[in-house]
Amino acid sequence: MVKEVLKVEEYDIPKSLYYTKDHEWLRLDGENCVIGVTDYAQKTLHEVVFVDLPERGRKISKAESLGTVESVKAVSDYFAPVSGEIVDVNDILSSKPDLINKSPYGEGWIAIIKPSNLEAELKDLMDSKGYSQYLKSLIEK
Amino acid sequence: MTYRTQLFQYHEKASRLTDFAGFQMPLWYESIVSECLAVRNGVGVFDISHMGRIFITGPDAERFLNYLTTNNVEALKPNHAQYTLVCNWEGGIKDDLVIMKLDGQEYLVICNAGNRRKDLSWLQTNSEGYNVNLREVSDEVAMISIQGPKAAHTVQRLLEDDLSTMVRFDCKYVEIAGSKCVLSRTGYTGEDGFEVCVLDASISNPANALKIWNMTLEAGEEYGLKPCGLGARDVLRLEAGMCLYGRDITESTDPLEARLEFVVKFEKGDFIGKEAILKRKEAGIKKRRVGLRMVGRGIPREMNRILKNGEVIGTVTSGTYSPILNVGIAMGYVPAEYSDIGEKVDIEIHGKPIEAEVVSFPFYDTKLYGLKRLQ
Repeated sequence: MVKEVLKVEEYDIPKSLYYTKDHEWLRLDGENCVIGVTDYAQKTLHEVVFVDLPERGRKISKAESLGTVESVKAVSDYFAPVSGEIVDVNDILSSKPDLINKSPYGEGWIAIIKPSNLEAELKDLMDSKGYSQYLKSLIEK
Repeated sequence: MTYRTQLFQYHEKASRLTDFAGFQMPLWYESIVSECLAVRNGVGVFDISHMGRIFITGPDAERFLNYLTTNNVEALKPNHAQYTLVCNWEGGIKDDLVIMKLDGQEYLVICNAGNRRKDLSWLQTNSEGYNVNLREVSDEVAMISIQGPKAAHTVQRLLEDDLSTMVRFDCKYVEIAGSKCVLSRTGYTGEDGFEVCVLDASISNPANALKIWNMTLEAGEEYGLKPCGLGARDVLRLEAGMCLYGRDITESTDPLEARLEFVVKFEKGDFIGKEAILKRKEAGIKKRRVGLRMVGRGIPREMNRILKNGEVIGTVTSGTYSPILNVGIAMGYVPAEYSDIGEKVDIEIHGKPIEAEVVSFPFYDTKLYGLKRLQ
């Protein structure tokens, strides 16, 4: 689980996770990957009121849109960090979408992917250090 | 050019700012949802100084306004206000306004922020032959809106006059903290509420506006008052079924299609746009503005397509998530034959058709929310 955390301004970046440029995170869990959106993503969206979850069993390619996370005013797509099959989704988000705000790396997880090409695709993701630098560069802009 | 209101000093410190009609305005202070709930359950306060304010005075003021707007200005009593429309010659809506009659020769007109210049020049162009004086005072007058079931309790603490004698849409001159103000029992949230025009509060010297704003925050504290941004304002007016100019109504919108016939008084005499609107009425109104409540999961947004049996029949003009209903709501235009309450349609959200139902305005249960529950 999430233990050590880096910080860029008020944004938490757990050390043990992988990250995309679109602000998704990925956690290795046995042979599966748990995914969600980062603390920066949820703070930028502000209060999340709706999460469109992908269907279980759906085959997905890396960078494909899986659904949307929406606040009252803003809509943001979230994308698959790796290719594979959706084996589970966090149904609780349908009735409690604000879990994404309260616990983006914990109870606010979105889906579990059984990856099909993990080793190669993991190289394209950032580690916590890489994502910290990326966030810093975004904020400076 | 970016404009700021008299209360910018406060917004800059306390809110997330957004651009609206060229103004830097608060989008939210704490959160859109909590601000909406404060207005529905207690009281909220909005800076609406970005809206336009024009004093229209002179012996022909009534006759002039009656010709320029669709509602009946002759029927307006002193110290009362009315909602109305300004139309172009083709009978399209140039703006929606509130006209306050302060006395027989003095009116204060409130218009939309984005239409300030357009309205003033339209009024000026059409004032020839009328003995009227137009004075645009938007930059000298600030405007604060206090809305919610506890609005009257809050405003009562700001002044000596007894507010219980003021009914909905009444307006009058009052003094608040030594400043001359126009107070009206109006608003655009569906709730009871008041709007205060602070007359001596210019952009360069906003002290009186800031003082009254801060006094209001304090006066409403025990009722859970929250300062509210444009995000909450947009959700609240949509929940109440009220149009946003530029989205739900535009220069090419027919007032009857928009279901605003209650402010179009054909019997009052001539007015700009009358002939064109009447002609369309006689030919039969082909489409209607409707309220849509999501049956399936999803939040409808502006420009989403409305479908019936897979065919595109209309477009969403406003859509959002309703915090009190916990469901997506929208308004849009559909052919008259699909506009009956209970009609099932689909709204295309992120490429997928999702079921929605035509419902009546307001979207909320009037026994639980809104002005009527207090009456």
